[in-house]
Amino acid sequence: MRLPAIAVLATASLALGGAASTLATCGPFTDTANDAFCPAVLEIFTLGITTGTTPTTFSPGDNVTRLQMATFLSRTVDGVLKRASPRVISGQFWTPNNAAGVTTLAGANPIGVQSDGADVWTANSGNHTVSRVRASDGKILETWTGAIFPWDVSLARGRVVLTGSGGALYQIDPREAAGSVTTVSTALGVLTYGIAFDGSRYWTVSNTGSVSIVTPASSPPWTVTTVTTGFSSPRGVLYDGANTWVTEDIGKLHKLDSSGAILQTLTFSSGGGSPAFDGTNLWVPLGGDGLAVVRASSAALLATLTGNGLNSPFSAAFDGQRVLVTNFSGGSVSLWKAADMTAAGSFPIGSQPRGACSDGLNFWVTLHGVISPPGGLARF
Amino acid sequence: MKTHRARFRLLAAALPGAASLLLGVCGPFLDVSDAALCPFVVEAFTLGITTGTTATTYSPSDSVNRLQMAAFLSRTVDRSLQRVSRRAAMGRFWTPKNAVDLGLTTVGISPNNVRWDGKDLWIPDRTTSSVYRVRASDGRLLETWTGAPFANDAVIAIGKIFVDGYRAAPGYLSRIDPAAPAGAATVVASNLGAGADGIAFDGSRIWTANQGASVSIVTPGSSIPWTVTTVTLGAAPTGILFDGTAMWVTDYTNGNLLKLNGDGTLLQTIPVGAGAAFFTSDGANLWVPLNGGAATAVVRASNGAVLTTLTGNGQTFPNTAAFDGERILVTNADGNSVSLWRAADLTPLGWVPTGASTYPAGVCSDGINFWITFVSSGQLARF
Repeated sequence: MRLPAIAVLATASLALGGAASTLATCGPFTDTANDAFCPAVLEIFTLGITTGTTPTTFSPGDNVTRLQMATFLSRTVDGVLKRASPRVISGQFWTPNNAAGVTTLAGANPIGVQSDGADVWTANSGNHTVSRVRASDGKILETWTGAIFPWDVSLARGRVVLTGSGGALYQIDPREAAGSVTTVSTALGVLTYGIAFDGSRYWTVSNTGSVSIVTPASSPPWTVTTVTTGFSSPRGVLYDGANTWVTEDIGKLHKLDSSGAILQTLTFSSGGGSPAFDGTNLWVPLGGDGLAVVRASSAALLATLTGNGLNSPFSAAFDGQRVLVTNFSGGSVSLWKAADMTAAGSFPIGSQPRGACSDGLNFWVTLHGVISPPGGLARF
Repeated sequence: MKTHRARFRLLAAALPGAASLLLGVCGPFLDVSDAALCPFVVEAFTLGITTGTTATTYSPSDSVNRLQMAAFLSRTVDRSLQRVSRRAAMGRFWTPKNAVDLGLTTVGISPNNVRWDGKDLWIPDRTTSSVYRVRASDGRLLETWTGAPFANDAVIAIGKIFVDGYRAAPGYLSRIDPAAPAGAATVVASNLGAGADGIAFDGSRIWTANQGASVSIVTPGSSIPWTVTTVTLGAAPTGILFDGTAMWVTDYTNGNLLKLNGDGTLLQTIPVGAGAAFFTSDGANLWVPLNGGAATAVVRASNGAVLTTLTGNGQTFPNTAAFDGERILVTNADGNSVSLWRAADLTPLGWVPTGASTYPAGVCSDGINFWITFVSSGQLARF
């Protein structure tokens, strides 16, 4: 970017209400005029986007190299994300350093977890229940029954829809009084695990080698189209706004078209847990204690991250800034800064952490190893 | 300031977590050797703000021209907004595609508008003179308030819900205390201008745009009735919005967007097109649906310039606009559909039918969903 050279002025700054430490012309900068551009310079100085070329110079007439520009833009994104986060607005700058407070949960062996914006819904595979927990205080609000081996949860269409690993799909109308779930299909494959919604249809994956596309109807059963071509051991599924992605236990990540046909496949040594999407990249937990970062638009592998406490990673979740991965064997979670893939440490959380979601403020992690009340739903 | 051209080196990446595919000196780039600034280059690459000058070069010492700068800044804003949205944190990257995918809640008979208080939605219903409170997280009807005459539109301010009453003459203003048990609203003024339609708050006073060629300004007081000042304006004031600086009003009949000062004096008249209706602000621009045709005008608030008049994208007598931080949604009441745009660059994102005989009218965002009132079917839809 080229800016016109600005004459050096030596008058005292009028911009900051006479702040004692900013005696130069424009904030701390003696070489930048207190003109129409000065407020913009002050803003990027205040935000930490620039530190100047020296503590007292901004060199306003210099060109910017691509290297410098990357620095400015990267700090711009970081500054915006930080300030817009509910965590900052509520003063929550800390990360739990020890096993997080585990809230009570009226179910055993919870796996899938999703936020509806106010409450968190968990699929309790061990005792066939679904819990609704208030995110603000962790109180159990409701327990729904009748879902056999519920595995994963989707929040869409104003409804809660769950997979049952026996091959069923269940629906809850969260406006109704808690009771029994409605079975909307029993035509899914055996060992149905993950679920995603694409704006009109649900996608579920069966670990025995199929992907089902389910179209909601006003009354059960819902229409199910099952695709098997190219699948052997699907586990996780995600919709990124354009395409559906499926992970497989044998270490594959598939990008699908709207009919379920495979468009592209990435192969890993082993793999594929429940992935997360950050708006640009997919984060895919891998066997062999890895985490793949894949550009959604091109399916290019950006990096395979290792270390940072990864230990049988199972699920990934994104909160706007950070990616969290549950370590099933490690009893921990690992964090990364999503924007630059920087490791942000791992933290103990409890027995067999499995599912994860964000409500924007906190991550919520299910502890599958907990088999009896009070069960395991950890706020992180 | 120019740095020296980075020396070309082939080193394993020194990134945290030992990324296996990033084999360049800095991420995928072989020509970035500045260790202190490399993390920023990796971030710009990871975010998709830059793709490099080639797949393996970044050309760190090259200058950036204004055209390239525009592309980089645009991507920076886009990536920031996308990640800031609660939709991203909730993994909600889909948009409803069909009418049957809209979660519906029954609210009165002909609900015209909907407003969000940060947690719940408030829906005035003119036919029943009632106001409905619906929880945004699950769409459950929580409360029904009665006794708000001809309840038309609402503004949420000073911890209360203010509802105007649309009637030939006079217009009403009712107040609801959302902390109190649901019951009857309190009528605080019954001498608003005829046809009180849109409603807004300026920090101390409540304004209504009145179809009967006026705006009313109501000052909250300690005793009822509250003081009302009605100022003659235009032919058919319809929508009204305070953007932090000025009060803006649409004049439906004359097809104008009007900018007012604090006492209702007309500052600027901006011709936008016939049927200027219920508009919204995205922080920089005003989006004005033109109910007389099939277009939406986009007006720069700072100077009143019409940036463009958007046509197509399924618009059919567009009625009301709302903004969710990234996207603009416009309801097509007579078309039984809604149209979406990306606010930052005016890109159309398509339109979605809402179902026969729904007549989608009012709309607001809760940061995750848009909420739309169906006037003909008496429903609130989650989009």
